[in-house]
Amino acid sequence: MATPLRSSAADRTRPTVWDGLVVLVILLLAGALFAALLPKETGGSLTLLVTLDGEEIGRYDLDEAAEGTLVTIEAPYPMTIELSPRGVRVAETACPHGDCAAAGWIDRAGEQIVCLPNRLILSLEGEETTDIDVVIG
Amino acid sequence: MKLRALLAGCAAFLMLTGCAASGAEETERTFFAMDTVMQVRVFGDGGEEAVQAVCDEVQRLESLLSRTQPESDITRLNQSADGGTWVALDGETAEVLDMALRYGEETGGAFDVTIAPVMDAWGFGTSEEEYRVPDGTELAALLPLVDSGLLTLDRENSSAWLETAGMEVDLGGIAKGYAADRAKAVLEEAGITSALLNLGSSTVGLVGGKPDGSPWRIAVRDPADESASLGTLALTDCSVSTSGGYERYFEADGVIYHHILDPETGYPAEKGLLSVTVVTDDGSRADAWSTALYVMGAEEALSFWRQSGDFECILCRSDGTVQVTEGLEEAFTAEEDGNGYTFEIVRR
Repeated sequence: MATPLRSSAADRTRPTVWDGLVVLVILLLAGALFAALLPKETGGSLTLLVTLDGEEIGRYDLDEAAEGTLVTIEAPYPMTIELSPRGVRVAETACPHGDCAAAGWIDRAGEQIVCLPNRLILSLEGEETTDIDVVIG
Repeated sequence: MKLRALLAGCAAFLMLTGCAASGAEETERTFFAMDTVMQVRVFGDGGEEAVQAVCDEVQRLESLLSRTQPESDITRLNQSADGGTWVALDGETAEVLDMALRYGEETGGAFDVTIAPVMDAWGFGTSEEEYRVPDGTELAALLPLVDSGLLTLDRENSSAWLETAGMEVDLGGIAKGYAADRAKAVLEEAGITSALLNLGSSTVGLVGGKPDGSPWRIAVRDPADESASLGTLALTDCSVSTSGGYERYFEADGVIYHHILDPETGYPAEKGLLSVTVVTDDGSRADAWSTALYVMGAEEALSFWRQSGDFECILCRSDGTVQVTEGLEEAFTAEEDGNGYTFEIVRR
């Protein structure tokens, strides 16, 4: 009759160096996973997302934008937006009301400028955290 | 063995906390409807279908209630003004018109859906028009057309007629609130217990609270500064609506003209208010009340609040006072530095 297989670890009563290494590796992996899932801390980096009628037509890293960069948007009512590392504004627009230009600069993650006649949205995305779910008004 | 048990415990704990950090699944959609931009955020399973159902519902309502869509009930009603014949309507359009007429009566005419001809004269009718200042003669000629008493509704037969040529109905002051009510119903039917509806930034509908059970946090914009707020409301399962002159305005010859028009004068309402925020269970009522209270002015608005008893409000006055009605005392937290405003709780 064959002798049953038996791990040498089964006879040990004390953990070995290898046990310790396994613990260390798993703790490091779990720590990395935990950090990846944590909400991001506040940061200053801003990305501008431009959508026209629901379609993304542009994405700009504002950190890399030179002060006073002008971008022309080919929309039903053409417009020019001005980028800066601090934010974005509509510099010129051919839309009837010009409410989008009147809105001035936006400079915080989560802020938007909407041009209704163009169905265009300028959104700032970033790592800034806030406990506000929605702004009314 | 103790070390192995500890190891297993550590791994399980870290995996569990990792899962907790990911939270409930969120589905978000931004879309244009009712001459504004809307955002729906739904939490939990079945989000895609639920969000699509909300978009479909809002677009269905727009096709009935808009006065710019050529085939809508309201367009047909407006085109038949003075035709002397009843215009057949969808039952739901008749229901919204019925509400609008009741709200008009309850607010003593401060809310009036027949104000459209005057809105058009100022260019506030749609986002496609250009702003202009109509002269006194033009407004005097249009004001007789602003009269809900000349809109007759047959609720039983779902039909209506406008008595005078040139009259027009615009449901812009109630449609988004009604859409919020319908969207909430659609989400609840789909089994959604946590959702946030932002229907054009001035109308917000809340389904339940956040996925963790805590209330939604709604910042009320400072009328004087787009990037600042008066304070924060912590609320669940209700509707919120804000009306403020700053939402849409233009400047001509150094004068600012905003879009909330007084049905009595035809001019922008100037009754000492910068914004009005209304909180109530019913979105259409919140929508209509915020406009009406702005037109009334603070004293009349608070007197209306004392009599009504079915809503709460925040009045931001041009003298720098922010009045918060007592039902919001617990829910409202003013900005720490106050932004230069003085806050007071109003009691019945």
